[in-house]
Amino acid sequence: MQLHSRVFGRSIAVLLFASVLLSACGETKNGESGQRSLDFARLDAFPSTYAIKQSRPVLIQGATLLTGSGAQMEKADLLLEEGSIAQIGKALKAPEGALIVDGEGKWVTPGIIDVHSHLGDYPAPSIESSQDGNEMTSPNTAQVWAEHSVWTQDPQFPLALAGGVTTLQVLPGSANLFGGRSVTLKNVPGRSVQDMKFPGAPYGLKMACGENPKRVYGGKGTSPSTRMGNVAGYRSAWIEASNYKKQWEDYVESGGDEPERDLGLETLAGVLNGDILVHNHCYRGEEMAVMMDIADEFDFKISTFHHAVEAYKVADLLAENNVCAAMWADWWGFKHEAFDMTEANIAIVDQARACAMIHSDSGVGVQHLNQEVAKAMAAGQRAGFDIQPKDAVAWMTLNPARALGIDAQTGSLEKGKMADVVVWSGNPFSVYTQVEQVFIDGELVYDRTDKKRQPRSDFELGILNAEGERL
Amino acid sequence: MNKVVVFCTLALGLLFSNAQAETILVKGGKVHTLSDKGSLDTADILIADGRIVQVGPSLDASAERVIDAGGKVVTPGIIAPISELGLVEISAASTTNDQAVTGESIGSAFNPLPAYNPKSTLIPFNRAGGVTSAVVFPRISPWDSGAVEAQRVFAGRSFAIKLNGEFDSVEARDVAQKAYLGEAGAQLAGGSRASAYAKVESALREAIEFRENRSAIRRGEWRQLDYSLADLEALQPVVDGKTPLVITANRASDILAAIALAKAFDVKLVILGAAEGWMVADQLAEAQVPVVIDAINNLPISFSSLGARLDNAALLTKAGVKVAISGPDYASTHNIYLSRQSAGNAVAHGLPYEAALKSISSNVADIFSLEGGTLETGAVADIVIWSGDPLEVTSYPEQVLIAGEPQSLVTRSTRLRDRYLKPSKGHNFGYRH
Repeated sequence: MQLHSRVFGRSIAVLLFASVLLSACGETKNGESGQRSLDFARLDAFPSTYAIKQSRPVLIQGATLLTGSGAQMEKADLLLEEGSIAQIGKALKAPEGALIVDGEGKWVTPGIIDVHSHLGDYPAPSIESSQDGNEMTSPNTAQVWAEHSVWTQDPQFPLALAGGVTTLQVLPGSANLFGGRSVTLKNVPGRSVQDMKFPGAPYGLKMACGENPKRVYGGKGTSPSTRMGNVAGYRSAWIEASNYKKQWEDYVESGGDEPERDLGLETLAGVLNGDILVHNHCYRGEEMAVMMDIADEFDFKISTFHHAVEAYKVADLLAENNVCAAMWADWWGFKHEAFDMTEANIAIVDQARACAMIHSDSGVGVQHLNQEVAKAMAAGQRAGFDIQPKDAVAWMTLNPARALGIDAQTGSLEKGKMADVVVWSGNPFSVYTQVEQVFIDGELVYDRTDKKRQPRSDFELGILNAEGERL
Repeated sequence: MNKVVVFCTLALGLLFSNAQAETILVKGGKVHTLSDKGSLDTADILIADGRIVQVGPSLDASAERVIDAGGKVVTPGIIAPISELGLVEISAASTTNDQAVTGESIGSAFNPLPAYNPKSTLIPFNRAGGVTSAVVFPRISPWDSGAVEAQRVFAGRSFAIKLNGEFDSVEARDVAQKAYLGEAGAQLAGGSRASAYAKVESALREAIEFRENRSAIRRGEWRQLDYSLADLEALQPVVDGKTPLVITANRASDILAAIALAKAFDVKLVILGAAEGWMVADQLAEAQVPVVIDAINNLPISFSSLGARLDNAALLTKAGVKVAISGPDYASTHNIYLSRQSAGNAVAHGLPYEAALKSISSNVADIFSLEGGTLETGAVADIVIWSGDPLEVTSYPEQVLIAGEPQSLVTRSTRLRDRYLKPSKGHNFGYRH
C-alpha cells in the first residue's frame, strides 16, 4: 500500500498495427497513416504465449446481466462461442454440445479487471527473497519491466480468480519517480509470465508522485528529497527522453550512425509516441494538476492516476484532460497524502464525467472488488447521486479496461468482445454473494462447486498436508 | 431528506443539557438482542439513564425522545477487539503515533493510556461506521527498523474506550496484556519461536515469584531478577487470572504452544490471529480459549498462515470456540469498523448470521469483560440503528447511541464530500465549510 502504486491513454490502437522489424535496433512499425514510427515499446520482445481456447460453446440462460456498458437486463441469455460473446438476448438456442448454465436467480457481469496489482511481484508468502516489486536503487528505473519479476506460482492469482478477476495489471512499486514497465495479464495458470500476457495489451509505465520517492531517496541523502525535487526529476527525464526519441527519428529519417539503445529511455520514448500508457501513483489533487501540466509540456498522455485519494477535489480537471482515476473505497490515514479520504470519491469523480474505477493494490482487496464497488456506490447514493448497479459495475470492468487500453477487447458484455464473464450467485453488490463460475475467453476456468475446475499454484501442492489440499 | 431528519434529531439532542437523564424509545425496528431473547422482527427499546429498561414488541411506554426505527435494523454497537484508536493519527507520521515503543524492557509495563487522544479523527469516523467501544492495545512491529530488541516480546497494557470522543471516554483500564509468540515473537526474541516462548514463560514465572516474595524482593533480600519490577507488576493481573493474556499466533503448532503455556501458568488466554485456528479448533474449544481473528484475510501471506481460509470463523464457531472478528488488518486501525464486512464474508462462508453479529459485539464484550454487546434489560444503551442489514456493505448507521446519548455522525470524510460534491474551478471551495 505504501510503496506500491500506477496510468492511461486512449488512441493506442496504433499499437495494435502489425510491427515491421526494419533493423535489429531501430525497429519501426507502420502507423495508421502508413508512416514509419519507431517501436520503442518492443511488444515483441517477450511475446505472449497465452493460449486459452474455448472447448465448447456456453449458454447462460435467464440471468440478470450487468453489461458494464450501462445496462441491466433481466432474464437474459448470453451465448459464448469461440472465445467471444456471440449473442445476448432472450430464448437463445443452445448450439450442439454447449455447456448450459441455468442463470435463474444468478447475476452475470463482465470479468473483473484490477488495474492495480502486485500479484507475482509481491507474492504470498511474503518473505525476504520474494520482494520483487520495487527496484529501489535509483529514482528512475524506467528500464525495468514488472513482468520479469512475476512469480507465476503466486497462490494469490487463483484466489483473485475465485473473486471474479479475469484481467489484472501488475505494476512495479512506487518507490521511484519512474518505477518501470507494467504488464497486463489474464488470470490463468502459466508456467511463464508470457503464458499469462494479455495478447496485444499495451504496456504501462509506472510513475509515482509524492511521499514515497522523496522518502526513499531523501532518506539516503540523494535527490529527490522534496516534492519539487520529484517534479524536477520527472522533467529532466522527459527532456532526455524527448532528445532520445528525436535522435532515433532523425536516424530513421536521415541515416547516419545508429544511436545506442537505452532501455530506460526506450520506455519513456514509448510513452512519448503514445504506445505506452502512463499509470501514475498520485494521491494529492495538487500533484495531479502538476502531473497533467507536465504531460502537456512534453506532449504525452497520462492514462490513470492510481491511489487517487484526492481525485474528487480535481474531478473536473480529470474530465477535462481525459485522465482516469483509480481509487479505493475507503482506505485512508496510512500517510499524510492519504488523509483527506471521502468514501464518495469514486462517485464524485464519476459524476464529474471523468473515468472512475476501483483498484485493489492488495491480495485481500482484489478478491472482493465487487464489495469495494458496493461501498463506493452506496456512498455515492448517500451523497445524493443516482448511481445504480448497472452504472457502478463499470468501475470494476469497462473503466479499468479503458485505463489499460483494452476496452475494445474486453470489459463489457457486448457482442464480439472476449468472453470474459463472471456468474454470481446473486447481486454482486451483496456481501453474501459469491462468484460461482468464471469464464475467460469463453473457457470455464473456475467453478465453485467443482474442485477440479479450481486452479491451484505449484506452491499449494502438499504445503499444508503432504497428501491433502491447502483449501 | 433522511439526512435532514437525522441532523435535526442530533441538533435537538445537543440542546438537552442533561441528555444522560433523557428517556428514549427506539420504536419498531428489527432488533437483534444478541441475548437469550434472540432476534425480534419488530420491537421497541426503552432507554433511561443510559441503560436499557425494557426490550419487547409494542412496549407500553412513553419517552422524551422517540426514534422511529420502522424498517430499520437495531443492534448493539460494534466493539472492536483490537485497535490503536486514539494512539494513531497518520501511520507514516511518527509524531502522530504513540502505539509502539522500543527499549530494553521486556515490554509488559508499557502503558499507552497517557497518550490516548479522544479527539482523534479516527474516532468520529469509526463511530459513524457503527463502532461504539474498542479495546486499545499497543503494538510492536517486528519489521520496523529499530524495533527489534532481544528483550521485548510483550506489547504492554491496554484499555477500553467508548467512541463518544469525550475526555472521560476511557471505559476500562488494564483490560488485557499482549504478547507475541509465533513468527512475530521469533523476530522480536532473537530469531526463534522457541526463544519468544522462553521469554514469555520466564516472565510469567518471575511474575509469580514476585507475587510470592514481594516484600523480600522490594527490600532487596532476594536474587537478582531478570525483569524489572515494573514489568513484573504489570503481569500480576495476568498471573492472578484477572485479565487475559492476548498472544499473537497464527500457525496451528504455535497456537498449541500458547495453550500449553497458558495451562502451565493457569492464565486466561486469548489467541490473536489464529489463521490456522480451524486446524486446532477442538483443542481451543476444550481449553476454552477464545480467538480474535481477521476473518477476511485468507492469504497464505506467511509460512505461519498457510492454512488461512475464509471459513475459519465458521469452523471455529462450530467447534465451540468463542470468536471475535477484528477490523481487517489490511485496512488498519483507521477502518476498524470494517469488522462488519469481514463478519458478512464469514456468513457467506458458513458462519451463522447471529454468531457473526456476536463476533463483532457480545463476544468481544465477553472476552474482555466489557459492558455492551447485548440489547437487554439493564444493558448499557450502546445501540446502532442501521439503514438495513448491518453486515451488508451498502448499509450504514443512521443513528448511534452511546450510553443512551445520540452521537453525531459527521466526519472529516462527510465534510470533505460536501465541500467537493461538484468540484469546479475558482476559489469558492475555500469558503464552503
